[in-house]
Amino acid sequence: MPLSVRLSIFLFLCSPLAGQFLDTQPAVKTYSVYDSVVRIEVATQTPDYRTPWNTGRFSGGIGTGFLIGKNRFLTNAHVVSDARRVLITQRGSSQKHPARVLHIAHDCDLALLEVENFAPFVQLPFLEFGGMPKLETEVSAVGYPVGGDRLSVTRGVVSRIDFRPYSHSRADSHLVIQIDAAINPGNSGGPVIQNDRVIGVAFQGLTQADNTGYIIPMPVVNRFLKDIEDGKYDHYMDLGLATFPLFNPAMRKAFRLAPEDRGVLVANVVPGTQVDGVIKRGDILVSIDDHDVDSAGNIKVAGEFLDMNEVVERKFAGDQVKLVYLRDGKEMASEVTLKAFEASRIYAMKYEELPRYSVYAGLVFQPLDFNLFGFYKFDDVNVRRLYDAYVSEGGFQKRKDIVILTRVESDQLTTFMSGFAGMVVDQVDGRKITNLSQIHEIFRAEDPPEFHVITFIGASRPLILPSAKAKEAHPRIMKQVGISREAQLD
Amino acid sequence: MIFLRFSFLLTLISTTFPALGDPGKSVVRVNSTVQSYSASQPWEKTSPRKRRGLGAVLDNQTVLTTAKMAADAIYLELQSADSSLNIPAQVIAIDYEANLALLGPAGDAGFLSSLKAAEISAPLKQKDELKIVQLEDKGTTQITPGTIRSLELLSTFVSGRYFLSYEVKASVQTEGNSYTLPAFKEGKLAGILTSYDSKEQSCDIISADIIRSFLNDAKDGNYLGFPSLGVGYSSTEDPNFRAWLKLPEDQGGLYISRIIPGGSAAASGIKKDDVLLSIDGFSIDRKGYYDHPDYGPLFWTHLVRGAHQVGEKIPTEVLRDGQKIELTLKLKRSTDRLVPTHLYDQAPPYLIKGGLVFQELSVPYLKAFGKEWANRAPLNLLEVYNNPEAYSENERRRVVILTRVIPTDATIGYERVASQIIKTVNGKVIAGLPELAEALTQTPPNGLHEIDTDDSPYRIYLDQTLADRVDQQFKASGLPSLSRIYPVE
Repeated sequence: MPLSVRLSIFLFLCSPLAGQFLDTQPAVKTYSVYDSVVRIEVATQTPDYRTPWNTGRFSGGIGTGFLIGKNRFLTNAHVVSDARRVLITQRGSSQKHPARVLHIAHDCDLALLEVENFAPFVQLPFLEFGGMPKLETEVSAVGYPVGGDRLSVTRGVVSRIDFRPYSHSRADSHLVIQIDAAINPGNSGGPVIQNDRVIGVAFQGLTQADNTGYIIPMPVVNRFLKDIEDGKYDHYMDLGLATFPLFNPAMRKAFRLAPEDRGVLVANVVPGTQVDGVIKRGDILVSIDDHDVDSAGNIKVAGEFLDMNEVVERKFAGDQVKLVYLRDGKEMASEVTLKAFEASRIYAMKYEELPRYSVYAGLVFQPLDFNLFGFYKFDDVNVRRLYDAYVSEGGFQKRKDIVILTRVESDQLTTFMSGFAGMVVDQVDGRKITNLSQIHEIFRAEDPPEFHVITFIGASRPLILPSAKAKEAHPRIMKQVGISREAQLD
Repeated sequence: MIFLRFSFLLTLISTTFPALGDPGKSVVRVNSTVQSYSASQPWEKTSPRKRRGLGAVLDNQTVLTTAKMAADAIYLELQSADSSLNIPAQVIAIDYEANLALLGPAGDAGFLSSLKAAEISAPLKQKDELKIVQLEDKGTTQITPGTIRSLELLSTFVSGRYFLSYEVKASVQTEGNSYTLPAFKEGKLAGILTSYDSKEQSCDIISADIIRSFLNDAKDGNYLGFPSLGVGYSSTEDPNFRAWLKLPEDQGGLYISRIIPGGSAAASGIKKDDVLLSIDGFSIDRKGYYDHPDYGPLFWTHLVRGAHQVGEKIPTEVLRDGQKIELTLKLKRSTDRLVPTHLYDQAPPYLIKGGLVFQELSVPYLKAFGKEWANRAPLNLLEVYNNPEAYSENERRRVVILTRVIPTDATIGYERVASQIIKTVNGKVIAGLPELAEALTQTPPNGLHEIDTDDSPYRIYLDQTLADRVDQQFKASGLPSLSRIYPVE
């Protein structure tokens, strides 16, 4: 189920673009690192899943970015998500330079931009990267937050280093640095600096606490930059295991484990992942990449106490992970190759993607995902159960799309059909519906049966669509409701 | 302010009779103290609450009141109109679904024997007038007249069970803390008021028809309850659906979407996908209404649950594959449900072993998750409730759940386990709590109970010796009992 989001991202508010003074430039100017911190102005277009055929909502906002290499500006993914137009402005200048998104990683809220013409920026220094700051040390957040147009610098102290949810995707957690400075909307994407080196990217705050800011630390930034070296972003990897701590003495006895024995119980193996067919439920994972796994699933790396998933967190698609596990008391070892796992993205907020749908005779079908859940409050238990089991129980293998009848547009044909809205389509004309394209094509096939019979999971009767009448009603309803396109299938 | 406004209204429209007057002579006060069990800690009772209402005195020193007054009662008493005399009472028959209870004196009839027994009125119709009776503190009878606006099937206590009721326009000012008030027509009991909407000035009254059926059933001392058809159904208003069903335009009918195993429909040969056309000669329209000769349009369920009693045989017609078929309905009680809808007057069964708390899934348990329980309760449990047939395999009578884990030496590491459905224990299928209790008395081979569930970690081990020791500690620390288990009937 979706995480209850306690963190709220800084919405980079639209601020009026006030006229700026141009400094009289000295003949020779020395640039400070602050000069390489730029203001990013974004115009966005966000789809409306209730009317997926429409253009969506036009909006925009301001964020911060900084130069890290030749024509490479780093910022947050949420600053440039769903962007139609991106403009970059230098410090102390009013000129707006068109830019574009090179890479965007929604799961770690980072993006890399380039400007069309880099010439005005060539003299600016690249910001240098530091490492992890120590607790209680001072850092400065630099950016263009609300409350003015010029660069702002806020000082704070590192108060915590933790593994926390990244609210942009709603589905990912990574390392974060918490500081006690209030960083504000507009600060997003700006560098946080210690001793002239970047130690992170400001990205989110807390709604219910003052003076708390969160920073994406360098290990996450470096991983992103390494991931895109091959020209594309592959996403974070996930091992595909759920574990259960082996604290209970009876449980330890059942698995014949001595009190000092290492290992955590594998409670679930996600079907279709790299460990499916290798690890089984009931195995005991004792080491990962030669790090001993304790009974709670933690490891020690260079003296640091970490969750074993952090080993995978730092790896890339195609990397190997060495797993040692006990099965029926026998030690076994396997090496698995990490691969991207598309199915789990159902729980992540999608950006830059057009909502998928198919309309026929006033019936709007859409595949279930996190975005759709944000627009419709599905309280049908079957919908929630299928969503819940999509990854953990391998639901995606049976139904690639959980197709929902989201809307029934008004027409004489559909008067008595509205009760089916919000339910999962099971079959159409006796065929199990496993993806959106399939249902789209069934209604458009030659020689349809006299009646299309649509069954829903949990409905007390089938929905009957007389094919001749439906064919006739389809263009009428499209016109009436103002549906410009009948489908977006991918 | 509202109170004042109603008092004022009452002086205009209510008349006050002396206590001797008719029908106040057939009315007593019913005082009850109700107490239910805690859903999450079923070994405990919640704090008792008092209910006050009225009852109608009937033959043989019996008193009719609502089931709401008597459900979960730990003490019941009948009190004279002026509150000067009272006697303890007991339940003779109770129907939680119909919201009726028949009470009698627990010992000597006392003052009850001096009261006049009311007769039950003939069935009432729309626009009939009746008198709602209340008792004032000093014992005088207060009468509020009302007019039957319509006859409807309403569910007034247990949700989802509908019974013939009167919707009455009246302006009632409550004298007690309950709207359980008898209503009379020409000195005869016409109904019992169950609720009142002060804004609409309208009240719901259980009909004389239902009261009569209830009393008939209770007469022999073995109350059976109202019959039920045992089907899931859907209207046939949608013309597209009708065309597919080959239902002629001039016909009504209800589409049968589900047959509950063991119910009246199942026993009478009704099948899924049939269209129910008529019951007892009354045609059922596409929305499910039939035309009652006296009451006008009524929902079809009254033809089963109201107009007839368990054991009766009535004709019915269904459309199957376009053919009309005549069948005989043998009316039965609704079957025991996998997830019971209510547990009134039953102490919920439970079992504690080593700190693991096991209970049987019920609607009251789900409702303990709050007003929004249909969204808040655990999804796996809601699914059982929504789809009981899928969980009725292996002769499962009840769904046993590990509701919570009390931290003990035996449950280290299990603290976050909750709301899991129990499948097997030590290899034995768990069809209910008695089976669980039995399975846990067996000594497992290595001294470890194996409990298989539907969620992570899917198998829990419990050290038998340690669990038994923890149980002893629980007893020593004042837990009244480690289990409450009813034998399988």
